Amino acid sequence: MSKKVVAMILAGGKGTRLEALTKKTAKPAVSFAAKYRIIDFPLSNCANSGINTVGVLTQYESTDLDAYVGNGEKWGLNGVHALLTSLAPRQTEEGANWYKGTADAITQNLDFLDENDPEYVLILSGDHIYKTLYNDMIDLHIDTEADATISVIEVDPKEASRFGIMAVDKNDRIVEFQEKPKQPKSNLASMGVYVFTWKVLRKYLVEDAANPKSDHDFGNNIIPKMLNDGLKMQAYRFKGYWRDVGTLASLHQANMDIALDDRMLDLYESDRTTRIYTQDTYSVPQYIGPEGSIKRSIANQGAIILGSCDSCVISSDAVIEEGAVCTRCVIMRGARVKVGAQVNNAIIAPDVVIESNEKINLNSDEIVLISNGGK
Amino acid sequence: MSKILGICNLHDTPSMGQLTKTRPLGSLSFLGRYGLMDFTLSNFSNSEIDRMVILAENNISAVRNHTLEGNIWINNTRTGFLRILLNENLLDAPKFNTDIANIKEHYSIIEDNNPDYIILSPTFFLMAFDYRKLIEYHEESGAEITCVYTKTTRGNKDYLNCDSLEIAKNNVITHSKANMGDEKKQNISLETFIFTRAAFDKILALSDRVSSMYGFRKMISYAINHHRIPVHAFEFDGYVVPILSSYDYVDRSFELLKYENRQKLFLPDWPIYTTTHNTPPALYGPKADVQNSFVANGAIIKGKVENCIISRDVVVEEGAELKNCILFTQSYVGKNAKMENVLLEKKASVSEVKKLAGTKEKILVIKQGEKV
Repeated sequence: MSKKVVAMILAGGKGTRLEALTKKTAKPAVSFAAKYRIIDFPLSNCANSGINTVGVLTQYESTDLDAYVGNGEKWGLNGVHALLTSLAPRQTEEGANWYKGTADAITQNLDFLDENDPEYVLILSGDHIYKTLYNDMIDLHIDTEADATISVIEVDPKEASRFGIMAVDKNDRIVEFQEKPKQPKSNLASMGVYVFTWKVLRKYLVEDAANPKSDHDFGNNIIPKMLNDGLKMQAYRFKGYWRDVGTLASLHQANMDIALDDRMLDLYESDRTTRIYTQDTYSVPQYIGPEGSIKRSIANQGAIILGSCDSCVISSDAVIEEGAVCTRCVIMRGARVKVGAQVNNAIIAPDVVIESNEKINLNSDEIVLISNGGK
Repeated sequence: MSKILGICNLHDTPSMGQLTKTRPLGSLSFLGRYGLMDFTLSNFSNSEIDRMVILAENNISAVRNHTLEGNIWINNTRTGFLRILLNENLLDAPKFNTDIANIKEHYSIIEDNNPDYIILSPTFFLMAFDYRKLIEYHEESGAEITCVYTKTTRGNKDYLNCDSLEIAKNNVITHSKANMGDEKKQNISLETFIFTRAAFDKILALSDRVSSMYGFRKMISYAINHHRIPVHAFEFDGYVVPILSSYDYVDRSFELLKYENRQKLFLPDWPIYTTTHNTPPALYGPKADVQNSFVANGAIIKGKVENCIISRDVVVEEGAELKNCILFTQSYVGKNAKMENVLLEKKASVSEVKKLAGTKEKILVIKQGEKV
């Protein structure tokens, strides 16, 4: 059956800058906001947008992520016309290859896309935190008869040189793409979210695959080539909260954004149109002890707070023991902060134990990661 | 391995007044997250019993709402199942709408599945119970029916009106009578039974001859006291939380705030599964002040909360002060409201009245959806 839109989520990256957090876990599977994994965001966005056919391209530490993706039930993507599947590199008649770049990952799954025969392909990144319905962007793509539509977000002009920058005309047609430019021509940064007309993209992927000089990357190869060839490239201006949580500091800050409840990213919206879905844990509700204290924080079921937490994100089955004090901490699943310990500005990796009366990173603005490999 | 059918029995439950007006006891909210029936269904699941039936007496929509994702208790979703049975013919004749009548009406489920043993379990004795031990005892003893019981030393206060059992040395129950609270030491039936298929059919047949107003509990007492079928006893020596009155419900809920009690009901490797609602983590505001409380996901707490049980999607606004309160799903406490010993049912909201108080002995219940 042909589909209007198929989404492909790029989720194969290692996420080296997240250090020990991604030692045994793919970056999209890293815990976020006490309950979620990062990939829940693009997957829930797809589900909420009515995009029910989704391929997740996995590679680095794919077993755990593939198992998490499962049959899509967590996001409701297991319905009668729905299909969620993870697509790890595989052996074929042509041989066996790793995904050599973001575009190559799609190219190696042309059969999956051909089988589903979409009109449009939505390319997403598995490691961005944002809530949206993609429908407006797809409508814009159709209405402007674009070949490719790129979601862009306005960034601080001083920061623009860190991003892929899109220069646009008065109709938001993209006229130039600059990768991390020294002299940015606009402040519109690419979010790595693309809508392509499938027939057009297919042709470019096949050509790119035959080019030995190409890195087989959307940002470096496919997009510049399309622009060069004079294709219709439209910018879609995304309004709202969007974060690439590629570093410890950005992951920490995005968690704090939710704990401090400025509703930049509202997980508590009442109409549920952009609710984020995830795997549930079967733990008892969180418990706050007689001497416990918790404020400016979020906590998931199963957390036990006997000490004090201010500005923290506390995952399920994490325990803050009596007299322990955590400030600005992201405390992941099953971690334990023992009696009298004090921790500040930290990400505490899953199952880490902080010993009694330890003092970590007090009076420092730098974010530290505490993992079982040491801090 | 023997084929087992697990029946979660929502008939013949103690009356809890207001709390069970719109829902069966089995789907009554507990500790902010569970329905009481989750404990029985999870015990089945953790004991590798994958074929389950819920016998609903009435209010089937509340049961359905709670079991929407029936698969959460099922291990293999092809070979296992969770069915909800309601005897629609007898809804307007509550005295005859017994668990026995319900299973007779749906007897094909027994015929089609042809279990070796049938386990029947209520929802008002909360415990972490491994049915495999009961099955093992039942098979080895060659009993026709085995009844699970607990020994109590507080029979004068707890388990009133439950069946009190006299048990012979050979483990056969010689007499069963209602506990009127006259003795401290008693053997109390936990109304959990395992039957061989033949014994199950015998009880159904006996009820045809004795009384169509008797459910399993009364028929089994009858069988014991009239020596019709020998019934064995199997002691459960673990922690039991009886929910037999609204006082019990409130008191036991608060009792479980204590870790030493909680760890006896929630054992490691014995998860209690419940329906998921995709709620975000609980959020605590800058002035939140929370002590000795359970808080479920989706709750937003900005006020002061002490000794409380807060369910999913509850909002407690700034300046509100709650003590010894139980708040059901989606209830709301407005700014500066002070409440002590109050239970807010689902979607109840307090914003106009700024002070509400019940007593420790009698919690003040604000009804479902009511605004005060």
